[in-house]
Amino acid sequence: MSKSHHADMATGIGDPQCFKGKAGKAKFKVGDRVRVRDLQEVFYTRCQDYTRGALATVTEVVYESPPPEDEAWDNTDRSEWFYSVVFDMKELWPEYPDVYAKDTVETELPEFWLEKA
Amino acid sequence: MTERNRQKRTKDAPYPTDFTNARFVECMRTPHDVGGEDDVPMEFEEKEEEVWEHNTFVTCEVLAWRGVWNAEERRRRQNVDLGNSNYLAIPYYGRWLLTAARILIDKQHVTLTELIEKMDEVKKRYE
Amino acid sequence: MAEKHKPAPMVDEVSYFEALEVAVRELCIEKGLFTADDHRRWTEYMHTLSPIPAARLVAKAWLDPEFKKLAVEDGVKASLEVGIDWINSMPTHFGTPSDYCSLRVMEDTPKLKHVVVCTLCSCYPRPILGQSPEWYRTPNYRRRIVRWPRQVLSEFGLQLPEDVEIRVVDSNQKSRFIVLPVRPEGTEGWTEDQLTEIVTRDCLIGVAVPKPGKTQNDIRPIARAANPYGH
Repeated sequence: MSKSHHADMATGIGDPQCFKGKAGKAKFKVGDRVRVRDLQEVFYTRCQDYTRGALATVTEVVYESPPPEDEAWDNTDRSEWFYSVVFDMKELWPEYPDVYAKDTVETELPEFWLEKA
Repeated sequence: MTERNRQKRTKDAPYPTDFTNARFVECMRTPHDVGGEDDVPMEFEEKEEEVWEHNTFVTCEVLAWRGVWNAEERRRRQNVDLGNSNYLAIPYYGRWLLTAARILIDKQHVTLTELIEKMDEVKKRYE
Repeated sequence: MAEKHKPAPMVDEVSYFEALEVAVRELCIEKGLFTADDHRRWTEYMHTLSPIPAARLVAKAWLDPEFKKLAVEDGVKASLEVGIDWINSMPTHFGTPSDYCSLRVMEDTPKLKHVVVCTLCSCYPRPILGQSPEWYRTPNYRRRIVRWPRQVLSEFGLQLPEDVEIRVVDSNQKSRFIVLPVRPEGTEGWTEDQLTEIVTRDCLIGVAVPKPGKTQNDIRPIARAANPYGH
């Protein structure tokens, strides 16, 4: 069985640093309003169910990396830009109290989970 | 006979026509995705680490260091593939350990018979 | 408050987990997947980890606005100033397999309070903060903090006014997070060492705020192990 080639590509460089430059042009920028796509998850995902279909704002363009859905099968052929996005709590949870409407959730998502809002 | 009994038939796995898309989506949900699920307040604790728990953590990291797997493969297997029941029933590091054992067999570094025999040999050392 | 200890369980046979752990490790070594020395080296690396470097990073940021700016813009670079190299401190020289090399320092303000969780598993910035606490790993914390943060934080003894935004940071990808809390009142003229002392692990996760005189996490019950690991 072939061993993971991770060490070969990342030693002395770091991960996700070793994927720098592999994703091409970032589709979104800081400040963009995005929506989490309602893709059907199959077998594995790290896009939380509570984010699906929700509106968010891009707060940072963080790094390039293979998405976890691929990396979980040791497939690092394709890298994407990852974004840190912020959701209003009231966007996520129907019962979230108005008095605390300022509260938010921030999380990171690979580009394929996002679309322009 | 009641109407209800007349309409009953012995059922095994559901037919596709009984299985809505909503059910399909529910079945596809991954066990680790718990954010926002209902739960009740619980006393938050610290915990002493078992020797085997510490060794398990180190083994999992060293397996990744030496290229047997990467951490994302481990998470997928350990937190999702193990299944819903095991996710909640087995201790946290128990899942790490079973997953480490599993990768050795799946990637054919060790045969299952070897693992079974070795575990038995180890158990006997404590007798 | 007295520390609450739960009694260790009585055991009269070896835990099957313990037997399996030994079996797995010995097979890995027999098959040449790693060496006993590799395992020992990683254990030694784990022994070097604690919350102190992260606490010191916060103290330095409080004292030096330029360093604070660096910490927020490039957490990995800022970590070097507290002796943590996210890429090379560990035997791999590509970061730890589980913690990667993307530290993000989340700056609190008087109007913004961060708290960190990994709802999907228990991702944690080990190279700069040490091993995660048990409660952080529980489905209970992971379920509730992202939806009812004010309730959960009040269980930790932290209540915030309604004009403060609570931002729950869900650590679901390769970034790892520490919170840079607001510097508390009553610390004017303090040295870096004095400031470091009051930035506890719980402050760095975000479930507590630093206070003069408070140099420990809140006391919680400690579940005892049957065969505890000691350094």
